[in-house]
Amino acid sequence: MKHSGNFGKPKRYGMVIDLDKCTGCGACMVACMAENNVPFKEDESKKLDSISWLQVYRLTNGKPYPDAEVCYLPRPCQHCAGKHEGHSPCVSVCPATATDYDQQTGIVSQIYTRCFGCRYCMGACPYHARHFNWWDPVWPKGMEKYLNPDVSARMRGIVEKCNFCFQRYQKATEKAHAEGRRDLEENEYQTACTQACPAGAIIFGDLNNPKHAVHQIAKPNLKKGGQPQNPKAFRLLEELETNTKVYYLSSKQWVQDAIHKPHLLDQKEAHH
Amino acid sequence: MKIDRRSFLAMSVGGAVGTALTPLPWKIQDDLAIWTQMWPWTPFPPDGENTYVNSVSTLCGGGCGITVRKVGERAVKIEGREDYPTNQGGICNLCASGLQMLYGPTRIPYPMKRLGERGANQWVRLSWEEAISMVAEQLGEIRQAGQPETVACLSTRPYGSMPALLKRFMTAYGSPNFMTTPSMMDAYDMTLKRMHGVDGRMGFDLENADYVLSFGSGLIEGWGNTVHMIRINSKWKDTNAVLKQIEPRLSNTAAKADQWIPILPGTEGILALGIGYVIIKESLYDYDFVNNFSAGFDEFRRAVLSGYSPGNVSKQTGVDQSTIVALAREFARARRPLALCGRGQGTVPGGFGEYVAVHALNALVGNINRPGGAWAMPRPEMDGWLEPVLDAPAEAGLAKPRLDGAGSAAFPFAGQLFNRVPVALKAGEPYPCQALLVYDANPLFSMPGSGMVREALQQIPFILSFASHMDETAMMADIILPNLSHLERWEDVPVTEGFHRPMLGLAQPVVDPQFDTLHAGDTLLQLAAALGGTVAASLPWENYEACLKEALSPRWAELEDRGYWIDENFTPDDWSLAFPTVSGKFDFAVSGADLKTLFAMTAPQGDDGSYNLKLIPYDSVRIANGAVGSPPFLIKIVSDKVLKGKTVLVEVNPETARAAGFGEGDQAVLKTPLGDAAVRVHLSDGLMPGLVAMPRGLGHTAYDRYLAQKGVNANDLIGSVEDTASGLDATWGILASLVKA
Amino acid sequence: MDSALIPKGVKRCPIWQFALGLGVVGAVLLWGVYAMILCWFKGLNQTNMNDYYGFALWIWADLAVIALGGGAFFTGLLKYVIGKDELKNIINYAVLIGFICYSSALLILAIDVGQPLRSWFIFWHANVHSMLTEVAFCLSCYFCVLTIEYIPLILENRQLDKVPFVHNLSHTMHEYMAVFAATGAFLSFFHQGSLGGVAGVLFGRPFAYREHLFIWPWTFFLFTWSAAAYGPCFTLLVTRITEKITRKQLVKDTTIQLLAKIAGWMMFTYIIAKIIDTVYWATTTAPSLGFTLKDFYSNNPVYGYWILFAEIVLCGVVPALMLITPKIRSNRLLLTLATILAVIGVSLNRWVMVLQVMAVPVMSFDIWAMYYPSWQEVATTILPVAYGIILIMISYRYLPIFPQEAELNPLEPEADMAAAAGTEETTEEVPEPGLTPAEA
Ligand SMILES: Nc1nc2c(c(=O)[nH]1)N[C@H]1C(S)=C(S)[C@@H](COP(=O)(O)OP(=O)(O)OC[C@H]3O[C@@H](n4cnc5c(=O)[nH]c(N)nc54)[C@H](O)[C@@H]3O)O[C@H]1N2
Ligand SMILES: Nc1nc2c(c(=O)[nH]1)N[C@H]1C(S)=C(S)[C@@H](COP(=O)(O)OP(=O)(O)OC[C@H]3O[C@@H](n4cnc5c(=O)[nH]c(N)nc54)[C@H](O)[C@@H]3O)O[C@H]1N2
Ligand code: SF4
Ligand code: SF4
Ligand code: SF4
Ligand code: SF4
Ligand code: SF4
Ligand SMILES: [Mo]
Repeated sequence: MKHSGNFGKPKRYGMVIDLDKCTGCGACMVACMAENNVPFKEDESKKLDSISWLQVYRLTNGKPYPDAEVCYLPRPCQHCAGKHEGHSPCVSVCPATATDYDQQTGIVSQIYTRCFGCRYCMGACPYHARHFNWWDPVWPKGMEKYLNPDVSARMRGIVEKCNFCFQRYQKATEKAHAEGRRDLEENEYQTACTQACPAGAIIFGDLNNPKHAVHQIAKPNLKKGGQPQNPKAFRLLEELETNTKVYYLSSKQWVQDAIHKPHLLDQKEAHH
Repeated sequence: MKIDRRSFLAMSVGGAVGTALTPLPWKIQDDLAIWTQMWPWTPFPPDGENTYVNSVSTLCGGGCGITVRKVGERAVKIEGREDYPTNQGGICNLCASGLQMLYGPTRIPYPMKRLGERGANQWVRLSWEEAISMVAEQLGEIRQAGQPETVACLSTRPYGSMPALLKRFMTAYGSPNFMTTPSMMDAYDMTLKRMHGVDGRMGFDLENADYVLSFGSGLIEGWGNTVHMIRINSKWKDTNAVLKQIEPRLSNTAAKADQWIPILPGTEGILALGIGYVIIKESLYDYDFVNNFSAGFDEFRRAVLSGYSPGNVSKQTGVDQSTIVALAREFARARRPLALCGRGQGTVPGGFGEYVAVHALNALVGNINRPGGAWAMPRPEMDGWLEPVLDAPAEAGLAKPRLDGAGSAAFPFAGQLFNRVPVALKAGEPYPCQALLVYDANPLFSMPGSGMVREALQQIPFILSFASHMDETAMMADIILPNLSHLERWEDVPVTEGFHRPMLGLAQPVVDPQFDTLHAGDTLLQLAAALGGTVAASLPWENYEACLKEALSPRWAELEDRGYWIDENFTPDDWSLAFPTVSGKFDFAVSGADLKTLFAMTAPQGDDGSYNLKLIPYDSVRIANGAVGSPPFLIKIVSDKVLKGKTVLVEVNPETARAAGFGEGDQAVLKTPLGDAAVRVHLSDGLMPGLVAMPRGLGHTAYDRYLAQKGVNANDLIGSVEDTASGLDATWGILASLVKA
Repeated sequence: MDSALIPKGVKRCPIWQFALGLGVVGAVLLWGVYAMILCWFKGLNQTNMNDYYGFALWIWADLAVIALGGGAFFTGLLKYVIGKDELKNIINYAVLIGFICYSSALLILAIDVGQPLRSWFIFWHANVHSMLTEVAFCLSCYFCVLTIEYIPLILENRQLDKVPFVHNLSHTMHEYMAVFAATGAFLSFFHQGSLGGVAGVLFGRPFAYREHLFIWPWTFFLFTWSAAAYGPCFTLLVTRITEKITRKQLVKDTTIQLLAKIAGWMMFTYIIAKIIDTVYWATTTAPSLGFTLKDFYSNNPVYGYWILFAEIVLCGVVPALMLITPKIRSNRLLLTLATILAVIGVSLNRWVMVLQVMAVPVMSFDIWAMYYPSWQEVATTILPVAYGIILIMISYRYLPIFPQEAELNPLEPEADMAAAAGTEETTEEVPEPGLTPAEA
């Protein structure tokens, strides 16, 4: 990537999301949409064609009343590294190199002007983190005024997804460069969802950096594809060796079980 | 040259090959691809200088500190202010969508006058001069006729300079009828008045509580300051504080709680008394507090022990006896236990008895004005203003009883009871209402029994709205003098109910006014000037900013500099000084109330045997249900298990649904004594059998196509039920049935 | 009226009948074109695809059609490279069907991508690791090869052939046809394979993912193999249908039997491989990814074990055994039945490898995604079928597609075109060999 250039040591930006704290409020989803010029349309209740880079799933323990329990699970793009850095399920399949694994940051980017909308990446992503622009984005008259100039509005017919608010990384590195610094402080680059979350449930930082909270909490084992060493922590679909950079924390056994045992849940509510 | 078949063929093939060898097709192809990358119909946000403007949000009562990123003149992002004491950087979904309100298509762009039928949404534009003089003329005539009391004013917030200015205007004009939309604040204020003897507001030191019994309070759904409460919840996780959520539905709060205790709706107060029973019976209460700093304990004890044994309470509430006993013991033995009430977001107060019962638990364990407890807080005051000047007509008008009966012999402790206005107007008692001023409120949508509210509004010949967005109530207005939007105006934002520090925030303009609108404060000052006389003399400021500065003068510099003022070191009064009651002690006997009637459960509407279910409304953290409608982003994140297309899904326990013959997603008609609505059924194991739960905040008829006509307004189906003891709206639901569509 | 264009020595239906037929199919074609235009100008919101179902009906049709078009490369391989000269009698038709299938596939892809005007980025910004890049390159190249294979056939039209340049050109092209056929077979081998790879490399989708051999997942080889096995069945089936419609025998039984036998053995070996693959996947691959076979076939209204049975046993093992059994194969009816089963089998396989992949939830808390196509998708999917029928109608009418037709259906001297339309076909073999146009 042009801008990331040779900026300090390679980073592996990632998240730790504390499911004990997440309230399902959805502020993160909205903050993401506001930051990233995500469009909206009249009917967004068909969730399978509704663009939301961050999706908060509502998991239930499948037990009947009154033993029902609920856990909310926010799912941004997992920024998979694959078996070797860069072998993300989606990046490896894109025929036009329109989605890219940035070796400097570990961020899986999406180049909107390059994507020609074959949607192979969507088929490849087991997390459903990718969304297609089935419609031309339309903002009601006047509302286009709030669009963020750091993020281009996407045209119809292409794929988009969470990119860890890459524009914020760019801004932060530009600023650091201008000040003659090689590395970013932890708080200099934070994603919009992390920033907004009222619960402080999302923590973001460099998984490679022992000083960063994400590293300290998840304790990724870099020899074992980043597997967490914190017993409360887990990643989604660890067995697929997608080697994701989003770690989850839960103290509830049923949540850990539900994540690991496919289809344990009878009642699935994908889009809450 | 003769073109035969052969040369034609040769030419065609040659031409094709030749063209392919020139750059032309490649150039065209390239240009077409480039064109797709910058389709003129896809907006291209212009860049500019980046700045951040701090402000405080007035979108909800939470009043969070926000910082708005601007690019040139455009506001492009609202974020939470990290150094703001309540939200500390967090922000909720409504404020995060705030720019959709600022720039949205539902803004009212200029003053306008109704054309045609009320509610037809047809208007003519007025100039500000015309509009002000028209309103002044109207109000002047009523005053001239010696009936200033027939003008009423409704605001959402009770505190801050704008409500104070409105109230001052009403006072100078001669009307006692300044009201705010009802909420749990009214009930908590009453609780403080009658149990503590304090005229103030309730605060809770939630951060330091270690065991919280929530009687249906939607701590995550918007009770108090949403962001602050969610932060507190996270803190509880860190400190291993315990949260027990008592409510019929597995809400987000219940999901985050350590235990969800389903309870039959409307019986929360009874459970509190049952817990009190165990605490008293097992002598688990705080002897020091009860013996030395409380009065009326014997009456209270008698009332509780005579009817609220766990067995009895279990039958009424549906909560196991063992659970009741366990809750009582855990609560009493915790270091800093705290009991909270106010259902959901607390937008409907609920019966007063419930507040007394729940708050009595705090008193029993002595967690009053203590760390981690319930605190009596002073009300935010407007300290810089002189008293308004009153002329004779004003004095006469102010001497009249209020429309809502607050302060009358029947409801001596009530500050205001807007919920009673529809009934009063219908009865024509004590007098008709000739004009209503509506500021930042949308009662037609947000109050239970919206049908009654509509009827009441229809009876009022002149409605003036200060709305900045075309909401339901604004649509019913005769004249709209649109206010600036929340990001265009100055306003002081006193801290919300529940916060345990005196605090004040300052909202300041982030962008220039986008339309021909005016700060409602300035509009009011101009109206006063146009009315002249003592009204003008009572509101003498040149403009709202000057008035605000005067009101906040001692703290203005700090407010302007830092954006907020807080008394970090506030501590509530010591027990010995805390209770200015007759006895000088905390009053378990509620200033001599008849405890038996006070604690009686309020029956819902429609108890005529023709309904087999109960409909309860619920507040969702993802749907705005107050004066502000949900912006597009908010509706976008509403689950497809709540809204599908234009139809709302009601939650029903699978067993109940099966018995009624409904499966997941089935269409149904929901009937209540107030009306019918087409809904779909969503099976939920997180709801007690026998209930139907419907979210509040859908079913708008105003606003834009992203919000309007989606779902049903629960307030159309659920009426207001008056608590005889207090006049408060005690509604918690209504009897209902689900029948096949 | 158009008799001057009709090959010598064969009978064609009257022009009005031909025009009527064209009109009917043309109407269907126009419906498809309308839907296609909607998709291009209004966007893919015209479909019922969604973010879970990014690949849907027409991509399945695309893959199925490419598999079925596999008859062209495999027959070409058999004839030109392996030297099964007998197949010259059906190679033209195989090429035509292949051309139709591949041009349809390209058309479908042009409708399928969200930004068709940028589709060339796949070449310009090619990602060599992507199976789709491989598909795009091989598919385009192979389409060129098929065009080159199809052109001489056009040039053999009676009138074109009169032009000396054209005559010489087509003659020369025929001489090099073996080279093209070999290239085509090679290219086709790869892109059939890479199409299989498209699903097989999806390590995020345990239902599709397969272990690798060199850089390719097993599906790479299975797709090529199945196309080679089932493609000829489709050629046979279409030939049979053409014969039924024209009410003539067009290809001699010896040719049919030879191709059927080869297809049968290919299917037989393929299905053994497929069974091994399935068993290994079910017992080793999927469990290593945290899944059991049951996860892929339960908890949903459509996808059950029946689909596995139908694909592998009913439409795999059964037709394979039928085709390798001479007795069954030589019965026309049973032969047709076997080819029908085979066509269903390979289509099911492509459906499963594209659409069931999308439907199966991967995250434990996710949903099974069900999908049904919109009319626009159905219309655009039928569009190539209509186009194919039209191309076959025109080609059959004006080009010497079936070298044995004249021989198998000698003209009665007095019969004119109009009268002959209704006459019964002759099935007896006529001993006189005659020069077949393909060898002219
Ligand atoms: N010298 C020079 N100038 C040019 C051009 C050139 O080729 N050379 N090209 C011109 C053209 S065509 C263009 S479009 C502009 C592009 O100009 P820029 O906007 O500066 O784009 P790039 O330089 O391509 O860098 C884009 C960066 O964004 C990151 N990124 C990736 N995905 C995303 C995403 O989803 N969102 C965000 N926000 N960032 C992402 C990429 O990793 C990359 O580092 O430059 C123009 N100017
Ligand atoms: N890794 C990475 N990849 C990227 C990007 C990135 O930031 N990082 N950016 C993406 C973006 S935003 C874009 S727009 C694409 C651009 O990617 P490309 O389309 O590859 O852009 P260029 O190579 O700049 O130009 C395309 C062609 O236009 C030719 N050309 C230049 N001037 C002219 C002219 O006047 N006329 C004609 N006919 N041709 C001309 C050039 O020689 C070149 O062959 O790349 C995308 N790819
Ligand atoms: S903002 Fe935070 S608490 Fe709310 S849903 Fe997102 S992660 Fe959960
Ligand atoms: S989550 Fe999906 S989109 Fe994100 S990197 Fe992984 S495969 Fe790609
Ligand atoms: S849709 Fe775009 S990003 Fe995805 S694989 Fe195709 S070209 Fe690449
Ligand atoms: S990291 Fe940024 S892009 Fe990704 S979900 Fe959060 S806000 Fe959206
Ligand atoms: S609680 Fe939410 S809506 Fe209210 S002011 Fe705070 S962020 Fe805004
Ligand atoms: Mo670009």
